[in-house]
Amino acid sequence: MRQQYAIRSMILAAGLALVALAVIVQMFRIQSSEQAKVFLSQGDRYSGEFRMFYPERGEIYDRLGHLLAGNRTVYEVGVSLNEMTSPESLAHTLSTYLGLSYEEIYDKLTDSPETWEYIVVQDFVGAETVTLLQELMQDLEEKDDFHLDGLGFKPHFQRSYPETALASNVLGFVTRDGRGYFGIEEKYNDLLAGNPVQVWVPRDPNKALDIPRVPNGTTLVLTVHRDLQAKVESILDDALSNYGAQNGTIIVMDPRNGEILAMAATPRMNLNDYGNYFSLYDNGSQYNRSIGMAYEPGSVLKILTMAAALDSGTVRPDTPFLDTGSIQVGGITIQNWNRDAWGQQNMLGCLQHSLNVCLAWVSTQMGSQSFYGYMERFGLGHQTGIDLSGEAVGRLKVPGDTDWYPVDLGTNAFGQGISVTPLQMLMAASAIANEGRMVTPHVLYSMLRDGHQYNVPSQYAGSPITAETARTLSDLLAVSLEGESSQALLAGYRLAGKTGTAQIPTNYGYDSTHTNVSFVGWGPVDDPQFMVYIWLQQPSASIWSSETAAPVFSQVAEQTVIMLNIPPDSVRSQLSAK
Amino acid sequence: MQATQIIHAYKQAPWRVQRQWVGAFLLSLIGLAMIAALYLDVTARAAVAGREIQELRFDITTTQRINADLETRLANMTSTIEMQRRALELGYRPVKPGELDYVAVPGFSLPEPEILLVAEDAPPQVLSLPAEYSQSLIEWFDERIKFGVIR
Repeated sequence: MRQQYAIRSMILAAGLALVALAVIVQMFRIQSSEQAKVFLSQGDRYSGEFRMFYPERGEIYDRLGHLLAGNRTVYEVGVSLNEMTSPESLAHTLSTYLGLSYEEIYDKLTDSPETWEYIVVQDFVGAETVTLLQELMQDLEEKDDFHLDGLGFKPHFQRSYPETALASNVLGFVTRDGRGYFGIEEKYNDLLAGNPVQVWVPRDPNKALDIPRVPNGTTLVLTVHRDLQAKVESILDDALSNYGAQNGTIIVMDPRNGEILAMAATPRMNLNDYGNYFSLYDNGSQYNRSIGMAYEPGSVLKILTMAAALDSGTVRPDTPFLDTGSIQVGGITIQNWNRDAWGQQNMLGCLQHSLNVCLAWVSTQMGSQSFYGYMERFGLGHQTGIDLSGEAVGRLKVPGDTDWYPVDLGTNAFGQGISVTPLQMLMAASAIANEGRMVTPHVLYSMLRDGHQYNVPSQYAGSPITAETARTLSDLLAVSLEGESSQALLAGYRLAGKTGTAQIPTNYGYDSTHTNVSFVGWGPVDDPQFMVYIWLQQPSASIWSSETAAPVFSQVAEQTVIMLNIPPDSVRSQLSAK
Repeated sequence: MQATQIIHAYKQAPWRVQRQWVGAFLLSLIGLAMIAALYLDVTARAAVAGREIQELRFDITTTQRINADLETRLANMTSTIEMQRRALELGYRPVKPGELDYVAVPGFSLPEPEILLVAEDAPPQVLSLPAEYSQSLIEWFDERIKFGVIR
């Protein structure tokens, strides 16, 4: 009997063992089957998701730490279709708050493909609107009303410009796709934008550490002085209004290191509303005329001719010149701006009265090789290398070019038949203001990344003239301004500068009724700390630079000495004596 | 002699052998249960910690966004136009060069644009924990089997 039980028990145990073995075999069979691989890959697919992490775009500050370009939170408003209970309620609510049509939203929510899980209703929605929607959802939830279920908000950054249009020509703007256009935003787009990182984000919380840290874009500090920029823009706007000019530009630069302190140009646009771009500009070169538009500068270029002539030893300040009112160069007659003969002059008189005939004579005395050699060394016909997007090159015709004629040697000497950007002229003139050393203009002061500040060193673009020549010419120009009681003068400060009134070339010769007026100047003469370049396009109140650009220079100089804390000459000499 | 026989018979009693088997079985069961409990505890704590890390990361992102918003709002409130408007309302007017007095202060120099350094925090060091702190027991076994190394 007992043995019978034992046998039965053994059979039962063996049966159960067989069942267990069958279960184990089946487990292994299922796990190693082809279908298992498919299931595993499906499981892997839902174990996380690829997500693109966009870093916060770097901010832009002025030289004193005022924010010029920052970021603000906006929202992508969307609906999770699986959680949606009432498309009618959602369409009605969203059409009310987002200003979209009910039908448009309703169709979007109901006609979407079955595989879609989420639909974006509107992006770049402001925080205020989203807060109202969130409050509404909360109120409904408290009343157990779930008609807005599925509605969601995904925050992200959008570029914001607190100063709206201030320095818009320098900053450029960023579109909704995060790409920078013009100015700093385009030039340093890669640095500012940072590096987006696409990562596999696991849903398994154990693997949370696998999410990498995405560093923000590099923050930039500009050389621009915000308050001076605002003043200069205000002065430029007033000048356009007072003198009836079409457009204009004013640049203020530190001649010692090339730092751009202010760069105003018209028209300017509200950077928070870059959709206005096409209504303001016909083409990209108009965005920042200081660097993007080349023009014939006229008599401001005489300072470069005179610098070259003094430096090459062709003339000295007291070199006599008898002005008969005209000169023949290359078979063409060149006359003075008023067609008069100014009689016996020296180089000071030539500059003071801005005599075309005298400067044409000077350039012919130098010879084309020497003259154009100096112009090349002054950087004409080349980009300045400023760190802004959209810089034009200008044009310096030289002997050998198919469109160069011998008369160009004479006309180029007083800024005709040659095209430059305002910044090129300023850079060239920096050699005169800065003891013969020409500076490379730049807008970037430093970069901030990972808690470190990397300052951008100043660069010099050569020494086209000697320090002695620079000092001599600077003094000549200061005496010249004082001698003619120029409206460019500023009480208490000795300034040097030169006017420029240029006829405008057309397809049929020069326009006799309109001019471009310019002024380049710097100060204080014994220790130049600022340079100013002014260009007003076609002023209608007066065609002369001495009556339009010169007083504007005085206003800019006045604001610059205040903003930069530059004491009057008498105070500076007292302070240095101590 | 009789005592030795009794002890021998006691040791070989069938019920005692069965009890030894049952004891050994129960011991292994308790051991397995302890390992399972330990595994569950570690996994649960790792999951909670992982979730907390995710939440902290979310908090960091939210704080960064709030900071950026506040910074932009502050800049809006101190923009040139706004400051000029407020200054004029308070009765200030633009200064003229002749109205300025300059005083020499020994040792004073104008602030350079390095004021932003203090606003930038050093980035947190990304912790690199050994895999043993985040992987489950099964994953650990799996890794050992795959690479054929058991330390």
